[in-house]
Amino acid sequence: MTRRENQDVQDNIPPAVDTAPSAAKQPAPAAKGLDGQSVLKRLQSELMSLMMCGDPGISAFPEGDNIFCWKGTITGSKDTVYEGMIYKLSFSFPTDYPFKPPKVKFETTCFHPNVDIYGNICLDILQDKWSSAYDVRTVLLSIQSLLGEPNNESPLNTQAAALWVNQEEFRKMVEKLYKPA
Amino acid sequence: MMAVGHEEDGCEFQFNNIGLGQPSQRPIGVGEMDIDTSYHGSTFVKNNTLVNNIGKVVCDLRNLGFTSMTEDAYASSILLLLKDKVHDLAGDDYRTPVLGSIKEWIQAVPLQFLHALLVYLGDSPAQDNESSGLKSPLASSPSYPGIEMPSEGLVRWQLRLEYFAYETLQDLRIGKLFEIIVDYPESSPAIEDLKQCLEYTGQHSKLVDSFISSLRYRLLTAGASTNDILHQYVSTIKALRTIDPTGVFLEAVGEPIRDYLRGRKDTIKCIVTMLTDGSGGNSTGAGNSGDSLLEELNRDAENQESADYDDDTNLDDKQAWINAERWEPDPVEADPSKGSRNRRKIDILGMIVGIIGSKDQLVNEYRVMLAEKLLNKSDYDIDSEIRTLELLKIHFGEGSMQKCEIMLNDLIDSKRTNANIKASILQPPAPGSEQEETCLSLDHLDSTIISSNFWPTIQAESLNIPTVVEQLLSDYARRFHEIKTPRKLLWKKNLGTVKLELQFEDRSMQFTVSPMHAVIIMQFQEQTSWTSKNLAAAIGVPTDTLNKRINFWISKGVLAESVGSDSDNHIFTIVSDMVDPNKTGINNTRCEGILAMDEECERSVASVEEQLRKEMTVYEKFIVGMLTNFGSMTLDRIHNTLKMFCVAEPSYDKSLQQLQSFLSGLISEEKLEMREGLYVLKK
Repeated sequence: MTRRENQDVQDNIPPAVDTAPSAAKQPAPAAKGLDGQSVLKRLQSELMSLMMCGDPGISAFPEGDNIFCWKGTITGSKDTVYEGMIYKLSFSFPTDYPFKPPKVKFETTCFHPNVDIYGNICLDILQDKWSSAYDVRTVLLSIQSLLGEPNNESPLNTQAAALWVNQEEFRKMVEKLYKPA
Repeated sequence: MMAVGHEEDGCEFQFNNIGLGQPSQRPIGVGEMDIDTSYHGSTFVKNNTLVNNIGKVVCDLRNLGFTSMTEDAYASSILLLLKDKVHDLAGDDYRTPVLGSIKEWIQAVPLQFLHALLVYLGDSPAQDNESSGLKSPLASSPSYPGIEMPSEGLVRWQLRLEYFAYETLQDLRIGKLFEIIVDYPESSPAIEDLKQCLEYTGQHSKLVDSFISSLRYRLLTAGASTNDILHQYVSTIKALRTIDPTGVFLEAVGEPIRDYLRGRKDTIKCIVTMLTDGSGGNSTGAGNSGDSLLEELNRDAENQESADYDDDTNLDDKQAWINAERWEPDPVEADPSKGSRNRRKIDILGMIVGIIGSKDQLVNEYRVMLAEKLLNKSDYDIDSEIRTLELLKIHFGEGSMQKCEIMLNDLIDSKRTNANIKASILQPPAPGSEQEETCLSLDHLDSTIISSNFWPTIQAESLNIPTVVEQLLSDYARRFHEIKTPRKLLWKKNLGTVKLELQFEDRSMQFTVSPMHAVIIMQFQEQTSWTSKNLAAAIGVPTDTLNKRINFWISKGVLAESVGSDSDNHIFTIVSDMVDPNKTGINNTRCEGILAMDEECERSVASVEEQLRKEMTVYEKFIVGMLTNFGSMTLDRIHNTLKMFCVAEPSYDKSLQQLQSFLSGLISEEKLEMREGLYVLKK
């Protein structure tokens, strides 16, 4: 344990020296030790730019005292069936972010072809198409536009995919299943 | 004996009469009587038949069983007399100590009387001892003039009278403490008296309560200027430091003042002015307030070494023992959370900085004021600034004053660079190349070269300056680049001062103005009349800025304004001949000191408030962001979240109170709402 504290204080020690003993027990913090500082910086600057750009309808903020877990908020765009709905999301950033995508889930039940009942989202940029050039803001914007333009080719919610053609009925379903936080 | 048959009321009346009759019996006055009685104490005892008469009455009444009542009677008359005496001596004069003369008087008048009375009554010391059995440790028998062996009863009387005198004087002084402190340090004798009284009576809390309420009523009101409040605060600190070196009561009294000052916008500015300006920096005439703070800085510097010594843990054992012996418990009123007296050093600067909360804000304000001052200097004379900075460095630490130091160094470097550049022209005059008729020589230009990273934000304002000057500037910049490669000079054309002379047919006038004013008037060289829109376009500034600035020339009688066809397109014309009779006399007048710093005239440096507002917009976005995602939050949580995540420049460094007032501002702007102690976004 003392070793780990040591490492936090003096991050100029070559990582190989002291990640070895702790890596055996906890592989995840070892990765953090490698460049935890830079992930932190990256997330902080993302937060800053997200706050400053002030895009309407999207927002996110770190939850509690952990900058690796964020809460997000998306308002459904105008002229879509989701207009006026407010959806909560949760972001969980891996310690090797931005090289790996964050895990994003809907916290509010969302009736959508690409969202399952647990809130999991099927979005390419959150999986294989992820790039470190993306950030929280682009993820939020992508999810916001996904709401209006679902990918019905690979549905997670087949019922929603089938109903999509009938926008009026779909809106009714969205409203029925919507539970504001 | 007539009195014997009387009722109680009658007796009391009679005694009061006798008691009060005593001073009037010698019409020369109280002061005279002091001398009289103290010198002829024995005659007083022997010959005064009055005492004998009173003694007789007292004796008779005692025989009737009215012992306590008779004592009450003469006691109350003596106390009444004493009270009058104290009020008479103390009065409204705070410049002389009075406690000594009160004590003398007690010795001289009432004690002599009581001695005579007790002797007459035949109360022997032994008898008294038996009855009371109390022997106060304080009752070490002092010498009584004219009384060989003071009886126990007399000693007790003395203690009683002195206590009463202390208490009376204390109440009197506490009631007037506000005035006394206003007069501080002239009133220090009164403070010294009060200190002794309080040591005796121990009624410090009375002082605290009464003083706080008079502060609230008389000082902490909208009518009092921040400077006056600060001045009174400093005097209070100094005065109470005398009364109570532990600082416990000062803590209690200072709190309302600090709270109040925190709510004032100009507090920081006033403090910085007080700190840096030896002259006090304000026109209210409270000249020594500034002096005292600068003085305090000085003293602080001197004390630094001894303080270092104090902190030294290598005190020898003897010293440690002495310190331990000297230990006294904190007064009972001490707030245990505030630390013990050893840690509670009374440091005026510390207490002043305590008003603001953090020294950073103070340093920042100082930096802005310093920048303003330096930018307006036309010579490079910064000796007094260097001195002040050195003093501030000692108090606030080198680190926090680093930027200010760089600013001063910039000035010093500028002076050198300026000289170097001028020297560079002297060598090769490059014959013929710069022979244009209007070319200004570099001699006319002095530059202040600043390292903008370390200066406060400087307000940039675009300005088209005349080509002649433009050439001069670029020439200067080129030479600078030659000397200081790879550095380049970027001009802030709106800053600085211009000395110019206007020549008319019949007169000439000299001015020292800002570049903007100079540019305006130079436009009238070629064309005697301009419309405001055209002029603004020619100079490259917005029309309303122009209108504001051009007023300077109108007020000087150089330009005249007339309303043209278009109501917001005024016409300015140069006044070629002085029609105004009282202005004809001022040929060749030097108009000095007019940097045209009219009240709202743009300052060259962004003020601290503006910086704060800029910071606060960042915080506002963060607050909106977190409230969007979390719904509702408490003040504490917002504060903590900002502290945690708002870490990039400008990082969040505000206090909870500052945040609260900022949030209330957002509520009044209808951006937020408060519901059951939680902040929520207003939909």
